Amino acid sequence: MDFTFTQEQEMLRDAAARLLSQHYDFDQRQRIVGSSNGRSVEMWRQFQDMGLLITAFAEDRGGFGGKASDILVISELLGQHLVVEPYLPSILFAGRALARITDHTGASRWLDRLMEGSALGALAHEEGRGTAHIHAIATTLSLDGDAYVLNGEKRLVLAGGDADLLVVTARTSGGALALLLVDAAQVGVTRDAYVTIDGRRAANIRFDNVRLDADAVALNDAAGVIQDIVNDAIFALSAEAVGSMGALLAASVEYAATRKQFGVAIGSFQALAHRLADMKLAFAKARSTLFYTAAIIESEQADTRTYSLLKAQVGRLGRAIAESAVQIHGGVGTTDEVAVGHHLKRIMTVDAMFGSVDYHLRLVGAPG
Amino acid sequence: MNIDFSEELEAFRREVADFLDTAPTPAIREAGRKTTSVFAPFKEVMAWHRILHAKGWSAPAWPVEYGGTGWSVEQRYIFAEEHWKRDLPPLLPNGLQMVGPLIMELGTPEQKALYLPGILAGEDYWTQGYSEPNAGSDLASLSCSAVADGDDYIINGQKIWTTLAHEANRMFMLVRTNKEAKKQAGITFLLLDRMDYPGMVVRPIIGLDGLPEQCEVFFDNVRVPQSGRVGAENDGWSVAKQLLKHERGGAALSPMLRRKMALIRQAVVDAPSPHGGTLADDPIFQRDLGEVEAELVSYEAFERMILTGHPIGNDPAMPSLNKIMSTEMTQLLGVMQARVAGLGAVPQQVEALTVDPAAEPLDDLFSLTAMPFYLNARATSIYAGTNEIQRDLLARTLNAA
Repeated sequence: MDFTFTQEQEMLRDAAARLLSQHYDFDQRQRIVGSSNGRSVEMWRQFQDMGLLITAFAEDRGGFGGKASDILVISELLGQHLVVEPYLPSILFAGRALARITDHTGASRWLDRLMEGSALGALAHEEGRGTAHIHAIATTLSLDGDAYVLNGEKRLVLAGGDADLLVVTARTSGGALALLLVDAAQVGVTRDAYVTIDGRRAANIRFDNVRLDADAVALNDAAGVIQDIVNDAIFALSAEAVGSMGALLAASVEYAATRKQFGVAIGSFQALAHRLADMKLAFAKARSTLFYTAAIIESEQADTRTYSLLKAQVGRLGRAIAESAVQIHGGVGTTDEVAVGHHLKRIMTVDAMFGSVDYHLRLVGAPG
Repeated sequence: MNIDFSEELEAFRREVADFLDTAPTPAIREAGRKTTSVFAPFKEVMAWHRILHAKGWSAPAWPVEYGGTGWSVEQRYIFAEEHWKRDLPPLLPNGLQMVGPLIMELGTPEQKALYLPGILAGEDYWTQGYSEPNAGSDLASLSCSAVADGDDYIINGQKIWTTLAHEANRMFMLVRTNKEAKKQAGITFLLLDRMDYPGMVVRPIIGLDGLPEQCEVFFDNVRVPQSGRVGAENDGWSVAKQLLKHERGGAALSPMLRRKMALIRQAVVDAPSPHGGTLADDPIFQRDLGEVEAELVSYEAFERMILTGHPIGNDPAMPSLNKIMSTEMTQLLGVMQARVAGLGAVPQQVEALTVDPAAEPLDDLFSLTAMPFYLNARATSIYAGTNEIQRDLLARTLNAA
């Protein structure tokens, strides 16, 4: 058993942490969120220079990592700094989905482009309330002559507004699930782009009789791979949420130690001291579960329930920490002007994606 | 004991219902459906206030001599129920529930004549200037100063959490008039008849929901007349305590909470459960909703007992019990609404929350309002005495230590 990072991972973490503390403090982050594209081209170039775009992939796919612990190292930092760059949708969601498709020229060509930063990808999977289970997918892929036709609507596609490539999940007429590579410029693709409560760009995307050639169908009968893709997404999101939780705990401790009322630091009041203690307890549980899950994944012993348990704990404990952090910060915590509330909104969003606490807890508690 | 409203009251309910069905404009109705806070969209709620005033119904809790309705507690409860059932915007509390009753009780005849009609009619909106950056829970440590100069005071300092100050035309505030005295002893209560005195600057603060509900107000040598003082100089703390009594009493909150519950129950009927079927049929969800329902009924019971004058309401712990219960209930419902809305609550839609917006909501109103309501409700356990302070006060009434 070993839950430690390798030396390379430590080095990567230190370098990325340095980059983000220099160029991604809260004010810089807010300027990027408010910019027209909601992301920073300069920051993306820095990510690229540092090798972050390829760290998420194994060597046989042209990367130098791709292990759960590699994702953990990066994602925790992204969460801590509330990074809104499209790393999650393009690299961790779409990129890692592509990496799971073997022997498909289109897929590996797109993956190369995502890894070199010359294209953006997005994963178009969820369809709204109640689609946490992959078999609830209702977007359809049917055959018309020798062309495939795609119909349906995807919700909350992160980076969906300006992605070049959409990795789409759909149900075939035979009832199987397929994984598709759809050029976002294709006729019949309508994107309704918006900003999310946690400052990210996303879109609801409609597919109206989008005609695809056979090459666009990267995988037929892809339920297993799609579940793996969702599990990947759950792990990355959970690691980000744990990063947020750490930032919230640190900010709350600092605030409670410096904010004075009644002539003393408010952290000296037992009500707040115990609240901080509970936050620390929650953080220790969540982070341990995250590292433990990473080790299970790397030992190839993870099943769907492993991911559900992590997502549920992060959702429960995350909301508890974030709500406490807002409470400790008082009025200031209820404004958009400090990071605390943005972490709360990030944690609420993470919980809403790929199945909420309630969904995953039930899977964890089910027999078998 | 009985729980029913009399036949007479049911007739009253029909009269109220008839009016509320016909009087509000479409814009007022839309504003009500998009209300995600104690504070409804300003322009529309003030328009609604003026319509209610024309009918004579703007101040259910005020004495008749000041233009109140003279309704009984039951009638007021029925009015609130019917009002909430229709998702109408609740009238802003600052004038009607806070400074208005205070002026009636402690104001001079001139102050009453000058200010009460404007509050009643919905012509004026008063913002509350209490908190300061360094005086929140410890309000008595406030330092915004007023120095007497002839018939005036010169104010210097800063206020924060002045709700909708950017919309307000008047302000009631606490200032420090004596720096030497013990904290509470050097405070004075002032009414400002304008918000545009030279040297006064208002800065809106964007909240977590993306809306500018709170503000900061800066005072740089602002000269205001001493005639706005309520009570004696340096006696503002006891004036403010009187006001607190009004802030925490009188208005029924549970009809609002009940309406939120009804909207949730309505939404789950066709909201898909991630486990198949609808949320309404999902046994796990039913159990969780059952818990919220049970908590809500307990609060309704508590509030109705207080409102009907039961001795339980004389408990010195009552204000704290009520504040904690009502705010935690609000937060519970906020969590539940966000849970039901799921992914639909994630898009930020500040524009769609306004009346007659340029862009329509991406989803239904329930999803649109879910996250703003959840986020706004985080403030309920912070304002008007944090729930930690309330628990301290509550514990003190138990005399255990």
